[in-house]
Amino acid sequence: MEKRIGVFVCHCGLNIAGTVDVERVAEAVKDYPDVVYSDHYIYMCSDPGQELVRRTIREKNLTGVVMANCSPLMHEKTFRRVVAKEGLNPYLLEVANIREDVSWPHENEKELATKKAISVVKMAIEKLKRNMELTPMVVPLHKKALVIGGGIAGITAALEIARAGYEVLVVEKLPYVGGHAAQLAGTFPTLDRVPCLMAPMIAEMLSHPKIKVYTSAEVDEVSGYVGNFSVKIKTKPSYIDEGKCNNCGLCLDKCPVTCPSEFDRGLAERKAIYITPPETMSQEVLIDSESCLHFNGDECHACEEICPTKAIDFLQQETTVEETVGGIVVATGYELWDKKNIPEYESDPDVIDGLQFERILSPSGPTGGEIRRPSDGKIPKQIVFISCCGSRDPEHGFIYCSRVCCMYIAKQAVLYSRTVPDGQAYVFYIDIRSDSKGYEEFVQSAMEEERVLYLRGRVSKLFRDGDKIKVWGADTLTGKSVEISADLVIMATAITPREDAIALARKLNVTVDAIGFLTEAHPKLQPVETLTTGIYIAGTVQWPRDIPDTIASTGGAVSKVLSLFSRKELLHEPTIAWPDEEVCSGCGICASVCTYNAIEIDPIKRVAKVNEAVCEGCGACIASCPSGAMRHKNWNARQFMEMIDIATGAYV
Amino acid sequence: MERIGVFVCHCKLMAYIDNRTVVEAISKKPGVVHAAAYKDLCIAPGLEQVKDVIKNERLDGVLVTSCSPVLHKEVFRQAVTSAGLEDHQVQVVDIRSHNGIKENTERAIEVISSALDILKASLPPVHTRVPITKKVLVIGGGIAGIRASLDIADGGYQVILVERTHSIGGHMIQYSETFPTLDCPQCIETPLMTDTGQHDNITIYAYSEIEEVTGSIGKYKVRIRKKAAYVDWDKCNGCLMCTEKCPRRVLSEYERYLDLPKRQAHRRAIWVPHAQAVPMRPIIDREQCLHFTKGKCEVCVDTCPNKAIDFDQQDSFLEIEVGAIVVASGFDLMPKSAIKEYDLDPDILEGIEFERILCPAGPTAGKVIRPSDGREPKTVAFISCCGSRDPEHGVPYCSRVCCMYLVKMALLYMHAVHDGQTFIFYIDIRTTGKGYEEFVQRAVDEDHVLYIRGKASKIFRDGDKIVVWGSDTLTGKRIEVAVDLVVLGMAMLPSDGAKELADKLGIATDEHGFMMELHPKLRPLESSVPGIYLAGCCQGPKDIQDSVAQGGGAASKVLALFAQDEVILEEAVTS
Repeated sequence: MEKRIGVFVCHCGLNIAGTVDVERVAEAVKDYPDVVYSDHYIYMCSDPGQELVRRTIREKNLTGVVMANCSPLMHEKTFRRVVAKEGLNPYLLEVANIREDVSWPHENEKELATKKAISVVKMAIEKLKRNMELTPMVVPLHKKALVIGGGIAGITAALEIARAGYEVLVVEKLPYVGGHAAQLAGTFPTLDRVPCLMAPMIAEMLSHPKIKVYTSAEVDEVSGYVGNFSVKIKTKPSYIDEGKCNNCGLCLDKCPVTCPSEFDRGLAERKAIYITPPETMSQEVLIDSESCLHFNGDECHACEEICPTKAIDFLQQETTVEETVGGIVVATGYELWDKKNIPEYESDPDVIDGLQFERILSPSGPTGGEIRRPSDGKIPKQIVFISCCGSRDPEHGFIYCSRVCCMYIAKQAVLYSRTVPDGQAYVFYIDIRSDSKGYEEFVQSAMEEERVLYLRGRVSKLFRDGDKIKVWGADTLTGKSVEISADLVIMATAITPREDAIALARKLNVTVDAIGFLTEAHPKLQPVETLTTGIYIAGTVQWPRDIPDTIASTGGAVSKVLSLFSRKELLHEPTIAWPDEEVCSGCGICASVCTYNAIEIDPIKRVAKVNEAVCEGCGACIASCPSGAMRHKNWNARQFMEMIDIATGAYV
Repeated sequence: MERIGVFVCHCKLMAYIDNRTVVEAISKKPGVVHAAAYKDLCIAPGLEQVKDVIKNERLDGVLVTSCSPVLHKEVFRQAVTSAGLEDHQVQVVDIRSHNGIKENTERAIEVISSALDILKASLPPVHTRVPITKKVLVIGGGIAGIRASLDIADGGYQVILVERTHSIGGHMIQYSETFPTLDCPQCIETPLMTDTGQHDNITIYAYSEIEEVTGSIGKYKVRIRKKAAYVDWDKCNGCLMCTEKCPRRVLSEYERYLDLPKRQAHRRAIWVPHAQAVPMRPIIDREQCLHFTKGKCEVCVDTCPNKAIDFDQQDSFLEIEVGAIVVASGFDLMPKSAIKEYDLDPDILEGIEFERILCPAGPTAGKVIRPSDGREPKTVAFISCCGSRDPEHGVPYCSRVCCMYLVKMALLYMHAVHDGQTFIFYIDIRTTGKGYEEFVQRAVDEDHVLYIRGKASKIFRDGDKIVVWGSDTLTGKRIEVAVDLVVLGMAMLPSDGAKELADKLGIATDEHGFMMELHPKLRPLESSVPGIYLAGCCQGPKDIQDSVAQGGGAASKVLALFAQDEVILEEAVTS
């Protein structure tokens, strides 16, 4: 078919025309093969500019359009819409970027810039000549979301999505939801009690008709793509028949096995059969098969024998369900770095981490809200907080700042000072980072009203000395060394990614950073998106942050899900890879390099098969194909060669 | 109600109340058949107890005394209604306070007694159904407002974006590069601006302000003032010939009134803020235009190919109806004149002024010069916490972004002036975001940025140099540096007019004038008024990443609201 191409050169005010002689550019391609129209105008993106393009398509009966203007990131969409309005296939539009690629970098070389602009336009013409007409693919959209993680981010995400009217599945690894937030004694800077904040949210989530919560569950397998993720959820059994159990608690008394309670971070004990903590609003009985004697080769049936309702069922099995969801929010949270990693700080029952102290401060914690130290139950009169244990310390731990420690230390010190009025709290710090609303004021009041003593410096050594823990440190403001005999030491250990974060990221095909936090698509502008469309991140799985920032980032992730679900259909760019089956040898190299898992080898034909809905058109498979069988729609080798010829021709 | 149960919840927060006295006093009140104190009523076992008592005692009214009903009323209501009672048969009353134990106890008894009276008089509430107008107003076209607009518009709803200046983009577009990635906003923000400008679901009213807001969630009526631009924007095609020809050159607010040699940062009396403005439409500055001041010039009229100049234009008004509002009105910087100890001098700059000088798309095209004489400064001092963390001169809070933008500018400066030297005076280095700590380390290790821990007590000119007096708190010594240029990290304040805007919207502000969130921990995006949400720096200082996340978060609130067809407003009724 005869090609009739129109070229439209934009001045962009003086942005282009100030450097590039636009008139000459338009003139230079006027008689180029297949070009039937070429002109310039001050702002092609303005309404009169768009009208010029539309009129010319009609009058000159154009079969393709080259827009020579700014970056396609700016206006490709605009002009695709413009040509489509005149009935032209939108993929028969090419943008020649003569602003970012030409006029801006060559501001002082007008002649050269004009020549370069002419060749950039010719390159676009050559590419356009070989473009196919394409139509975006319509892929189905399942308006159901999966939220991985049942902490404060996951709960918020689930509630917000459900309130908007969509179904949500929540998968929580532990037998109860609530996450780390449920373990906290209070919040900064408002000193709200955490059950007061969390209980209403958890209650609403557990009873919401649109939300299904899987506890003791994990995401086993994820496949598919945005709109159509297929997920397998594996649930561990509780070995309790929920319908029969009446929560009488007799079994708990009889169970002979005691083990440290995870919720109380080892400061209290629980039995192998136990009730989930009340803070998490669940109160369910379950057996921990790892510590239960029955599952470890013993004939123990103590709980089964005592149970008046015959609710114990040792035969329960792991179950797996398969669900299809359209979008996924990853909110698996963080872990605290193990305090044993700092060899200079002795392991001692009275040297605890921040979360352990939260439990001690918590009115519903193991000490009933009285502040007693783990070793002997005495009320500690001198306590020392150490900031940056593993954070900002590449030698022992990590270079980054854990963002919340400064504030939770101030909060704990205030709660302590109020409960033990004759006690003294010391805080060792490098910089006090209290940079959010009301935080600075909170720290000031901790110093001034609650008499918390801040010492700027690091702690070099911690060791037991009789009844006391000796703390050796430096006060960098006086330049002197300090020694404190403390009753209790609290280490603010670094916030780290969960141990299984990388494994989960792999299942989801999303990226992690060097430390193991999930990475966002762009740190500034796409902070809640991953590089896999349809999978979003919320809360501390991405980076250490406090509760308000977690809620805000969760809101951001939710808005992405809701935007996605509000569409009638999902369109996928058709500029993707396709295999020439005649040439393909089925070697599978393409499948191994594909970041999106979009390629598989057809078991019967023994050739590569591209899942069109998943392929993003990155071209990795094309570059790696040894036989040249993999092609790209509208970026084929011929197009590249023609463009390179022109690009190099101008300079040789 | 004849059989009322009173449940006195106590936890540590209520340690200042004598529960026994309260229970004793309340159990004598008429109609009360059950009164007792419970520990942690709000969590699962507590709620079960309430349900049991309702059944066993056949209660027909429940009064829970606890902490704030804002968070808890729903939980107790659910528990009580699941036990067979109705909404109006439960009341929740807040008895927390922080005075002496005796007064508290007496006060609690009084509060509970009056709550009992209300409970007894309560009738089933009246529910009004308000259909939701599924259109949203976004106030402010900075990065937070842009993100919120795009997310809501992508969700399929109409957005009206009102921006006070004549282009969207906010402060972000003025910056040189952003931390920690060193992307330039002219590259990464402009596509979002263009998308916003061209989105089928977004209408931008630039150079417009909110005049009046009435109504409530689901149906707000908003009156918008479109300020007179003296240019008919419908006729104008943005060719900008007028801004080339206009003979009047003045200092530009977009360039923060920087007075650079050779008038590099000047604008004309008819102007657009920058080459990538959205919408690309000029306004005439009436104060400066020769036609208005002298009554003779008509250069722009003669230049305009579309006859768009209209000297007779007046402010115009339009009324819109929306179901929800997102406030993203941003921040302003405290003026440097607020700190008397620092001289006012052309070579003592606010952070954002130096951003313009560093900016490749700025007035000097990224060439670093100092305003006084156009020379390249060889030594630059950066001062953190100018007005922040300083109740005496400014505000007590931390402005959150200065530590990072000062080190970013120090690094950009070092990249432009290889033989330069930079000093950063600081109190604490606050670099808590992803990749921030590493960024500072890189500036110190690779670019030799020198950090000095201490405040600058005095800054003044001495001949060709600016002298900074300060202290180094780590050595305990006084310090004096003579530099070519000083950059101040001024405190972030709510944007000019934020208080008036909040008043029009009827939402609360905090003592510093930032918009108040409903709950600092759990509802950071909601204002005190249902249907009005907050995004970005109008709520408190934050960086771009957090503003973007909040913009998205506020959008999710709107999308969730618009997923319903009506809101049910509850009005309590008493006999």
